[in-house]
Amino acid sequence: MHSISRRRFVSLAAAGVVTAPTALKALPAGSLTAQDVVDRIKKNLGVEWKADSVDTFKAGDPSAAVTGIVTTALASLDVLAQAVKVGANMIVTSEPTFFARADTPTPAPRRFPRTAGAAPDAAPPTARSPDPVFSGKDEFIRKHNLIVWRFSDHWRQRTPDPFAQGLANVLGWSKSAGGDPRQLTIPQTSLEALVSHVKQSLKSRGGIRVVGDPKLRVGKVAILPGSTPIQASLKALPGVDTILAGEVREWESVEYVRDTVDLGGKKSLVLVGRIVSEEPGMQLCATWLKTIVPEVKTTWVAVPDPYWRPTL
Amino acid sequence: MTDPLTAGEVVARIKKNLGFPWRESSRRDTFKFGGPDTVVKGIATTMFCSYDALRRAVEAGCNMIIPHEDTFWNDPDDISVVSADPSYQPKVDFLRQHDMVIFRIHDHMHAQRPDFTYVGLARALGLESRYETAPQSHHFTLPETTLGELAANFQKRLNDKAIRVVGDPKCKVSRLQLGVGYATPDINSPDVDVVVSGEQQESDGTLDSPAYVLDATTLGVPKGWIMLGHCVSEQQGMLEMAQWIKSFTPEVPVQLVPSNEPFWAPK
Repeated sequence: MHSISRRRFVSLAAAGVVTAPTALKALPAGSLTAQDVVDRIKKNLGVEWKADSVDTFKAGDPSAAVTGIVTTALASLDVLAQAVKVGANMIVTSEPTFFARADTPTPAPRRFPRTAGAAPDAAPPTARSPDPVFSGKDEFIRKHNLIVWRFSDHWRQRTPDPFAQGLANVLGWSKSAGGDPRQLTIPQTSLEALVSHVKQSLKSRGGIRVVGDPKLRVGKVAILPGSTPIQASLKALPGVDTILAGEVREWESVEYVRDTVDLGGKKSLVLVGRIVSEEPGMQLCATWLKTIVPEVKTTWVAVPDPYWRPTL
Repeated sequence: MTDPLTAGEVVARIKKNLGFPWRESSRRDTFKFGGPDTVVKGIATTMFCSYDALRRAVEAGCNMIIPHEDTFWNDPDDISVVSADPSYQPKVDFLRQHDMVIFRIHDHMHAQRPDFTYVGLARALGLESRYETAPQSHHFTLPETTLGELAANFQKRLNDKAIRVVGDPKCKVSRLQLGVGYATPDINSPDVDVVVSGEQQESDGTLDSPAYVLDATTLGVPKGWIMLGHCVSEQQGMLEMAQWIKSFTPEVPVQLVPSNEPFWAPK
């Protein structure tokens, strides 16, 4: 919770409207607060809530009445502006809002505090220096009284995995899922044709990168959205023809699949980018929220693939 | 008759010529296969110690490989992570069959001055030293161009099929901060318009550059982010590494065996 909520609370308290335990009662009868929405999510998700999680409020006042909800993979300024346009003040995002896991409205000290001309070690710490992008976003959120809540750790714990299910739906493979959308059997096709289908279905611009023979026949697919460590790739690859993932570490899974292919394994890896891989899962999130929060309108807002690529 | 050159002697000469004391605490810069007693017929430097690179090294008559990155698909080269996988044993069998020895040079390569990974990448990208703001700052002030033109130029120079760019292609850029591998500089430095590097986690890091550049673009703050790929970005400097090793191992041939870009990209 940031200062905006404290400030609002202080002003309400000063006006004699509220005291802390009865804050909710000050709202118009029947209004639903952002905290109410989160409480309903926690109650209905079917996943045990962890104390140590990134799934917390990142901006705005949890006790404010919700006018509408937007779900998105990334609460970019464009997405926030679209939320304002559709009259929604609560944004549910799977990725950070303030450009880091810490997700605070001021930047962390820079890792590479290189001032031009100075030796790397000579530069003074640049902690919390003003940053026009952090502050511009923070101002936009305050100006429009938006509330941002992150929903990542727990949404992906749901069974079946909504991020994999969402991808399977968008790719037209959901009927092939025999229960677990992370392991699919699809009609045989070539890797090249599969990649082209994935690119079109996910409206990918330049984010797709592929390891493997374009002519490889592919029928078994592991869907691993988000960020995939080597352990998950090692577990999945032997049982499938291709892994469709968001992002991996290149010195891990990319080299693992490259070696497997060069050693004669009929395998491949398709990377679509982390944000793009989580888009359909947040579309599913909107569908689900509608069932548990019927009082307000919930809208999914897409984020275009951040990446593009010049052509050779 | 002189004694044959051993891998241990090559490593001793690397340590001697570095210009600073060897850091025994480095877990990366160690033998990954074979050991100091192996007789060296030829030395190949490469970026990733892939099976493909190993095979081409053998064809070129090299049995000592000096890679910058890991051999067994995890940074510490922890065999217990990978040994059950069907691709592990054939790679080891190949190494054994060809009496190969692998010694990784990563931490010391980055600590060396100059750091050859930067030298090689700047050379390959055509970033001449007259544009560098201060020696070894890896910060360049270039004649103004657009992000689109800069990225297209870099892609052609490196034949980088899977290059990825974030930002407005028409955005005017001049001040470039170069990174290599996973050491991607922060995009929010006030004196930087464009970051060019290898690889970085897309989000949940200390500064999520794709999201930052998207919002900077919306706010009219000119920023661009060019990811060359981990392999492509650090591969270049393995040529300088080969030349340096050659200067103190005249007994055997030394050469770069390039690690090819692992990716292809759809049209």
